[in-house]
Amino acid sequence: MTGKRFKTIAFDGLLKNNPTLRLVLGTCPTLALSTAAFNGIGMGLAVTFILICSNVLISLLRKTIPNAVRIPAFVIIIATFVTIVRMVLDKFIPSLYDSMGVYLPLIVVNCIILGRAESFASKNKVLDSACDGLFTGLGFTCALTFIGAVREILGAGAIFGFQLWDFKIEFFTSSAGAFFVYGLSIAIFNAVYKKMENVRRSKTFAVRVMPKPDVSAPDNLDPDASVVTDTDAQEQTNSTATADVAAKEVK
Amino acid sequence: MEKVIVSDSPHIRGKRTTRGIMLDVIIALLPAAVMGCVYFGLDAFFTILISVAASVLTEFVYCLCLKKKPLDIIKSFDLTSVVTGLLLAMCLPSSVPWYVPLLSAVFSIAVVKMLFGGTGKNIVNPAITGRVFAFIAFQSVMVSGWVAPSIAALDGSVTTGATQLTSMLGGNGYSVSLLDMFLGTGMAGCIGETCKLALLIGGIYLVARKVIKWQYPVIYIVVEGFVAVCLAKFDFAQFMPSILSGGLFLGAIFMATDYVTSPNSAAGNYVYFVALGVLTAVLRAATKIEVVSFAILLMNLLVPLINAYIRPRPFGAAGFIERIRTKIAEKKAAKAAKEEEGKQ
Repeated sequence: MTGKRFKTIAFDGLLKNNPTLRLVLGTCPTLALSTAAFNGIGMGLAVTFILICSNVLISLLRKTIPNAVRIPAFVIIIATFVTIVRMVLDKFIPSLYDSMGVYLPLIVVNCIILGRAESFASKNKVLDSACDGLFTGLGFTCALTFIGAVREILGAGAIFGFQLWDFKIEFFTSSAGAFFVYGLSIAIFNAVYKKMENVRRSKTFAVRVMPKPDVSAPDNLDPDASVVTDTDAQEQTNSTATADVAAKEVK
Repeated sequence: MEKVIVSDSPHIRGKRTTRGIMLDVIIALLPAAVMGCVYFGLDAFFTILISVAASVLTEFVYCLCLKKKPLDIIKSFDLTSVVTGLLLAMCLPSSVPWYVPLLSAVFSIAVVKMLFGGTGKNIVNPAITGRVFAFIAFQSVMVSGWVAPSIAALDGSVTTGATQLTSMLGGNGYSVSLLDMFLGTGMAGCIGETCKLALLIGGIYLVARKVIKWQYPVIYIVVEGFVAVCLAKFDFAQFMPSILSGGLFLGAIFMATDYVTSPNSAAGNYVYFVALGVLTAVLRAATKIEVVSFAILLMNLLVPLINAYIRPRPFGAAGFIERIRTKIAEKKAAKAAKEEEGKQ
């Protein structure tokens, strides 16, 4: 796996296809378990672990599983890992196990895991799939922890169980508050993401259309010509585009 | 030849503006607000002040964030946020800490009104939602915060804790006379909801100014009382205390009649207010708490549905009965035509 491929997968999982904030998948655990930051981390890490394991296994078996029964096969693989996680948590972190309640077994039908299995692991190599599982899971964990932290600070006056102050707005620990914070998080994340994307796009655009230095053309010997600003580049593409159109019309 | 002026529609404008109607509502609310201040003292006054100031400031700041010019904002300021702030404060208990009216007002203006597009675009009543927000957000403060008016304290009979309604719904009956309930003397409750007389005066003013129709609040209150009687196994003694306790008058006169969040046809409004009355009475009996605000919030959300099924009659179009008559006449004509065909 090349570094560039790794970078794309990481960027996709954490930001571009962030399961909670961009794809709006896995809404049920997000709303139910983000009452406190620690719950968010616990749920996120459990999902990340299951996501990596199931992605690896599905990727390994991608040529063996017949296309017609792939969904039941995926579900069985996922259910296996969910059962393992349940047993481990029940034994070693019973408090987290109790606070997650019914949402832990419900990971079996979590759209994030099934979605990654369907759209990524069943089409890509093992290492890529593992990476994808890791970063998608981390994206989910970050989002859940963020929403959980906001709700815990506002709703209980605490962060990670550490009491900050007595002032609390109980609205934020209720389910109505979950929808409210979740919606606002999506809005803020997308606004920031779009701005970032615009900046990135304009940069790559400027790099892509920078003309190669042509030795035969005497104009390019001009030292100013090597500095191509964004607007220059755009103008250039515009002019080439119009030239193309003109050429087609002539034909 | 006379000069011909060519212009876009509308060619005739009414004199009523949003600002004018809102000013009427504020005037109508004043008696109840003043009585609240008299009964509950300075606490009530400051609660109202904080709520109104926070509402107006929130709207101003929100508009600034949208990069509107300060002068334009002041010019287009239509007093709706003052009404929202006033109504919100009037359905809060007077003893709440200062941050409750502040945060509720910010919530009701910024989230409920402005995020949906400002005046006239909100899907639920901002003041009602603000109160529900306060109720959910500061549950401990709101539930234990009822204080009986200070005038009663002079008589030596102070009732703190439960309101008359909660004790009634709990099966303990009411402890003050109906006249006290009507005037609000010696009754625990929200700032604006105790003095029914003041609310009634405000309501009559609104009816006289043709801001609201008198039928709607009356339907709400009467249906609520009647259903409460039915639920109490036809004990007609329950009628008066049921309608005179809690925030029913405030909700019926000032909140349910909000133009933005009530149906746009007369028939739709009848359905809306009857449903409100039934819902309030049934939920009161089921939950044992005051539910006027929740009932109105719930029905606000159903208004688009009512509007979808009960459309207002377009100007000049046939009414419901007229349409049925023409249909019957058409059928008769068709029948007659068939019979004639058969004869031939």
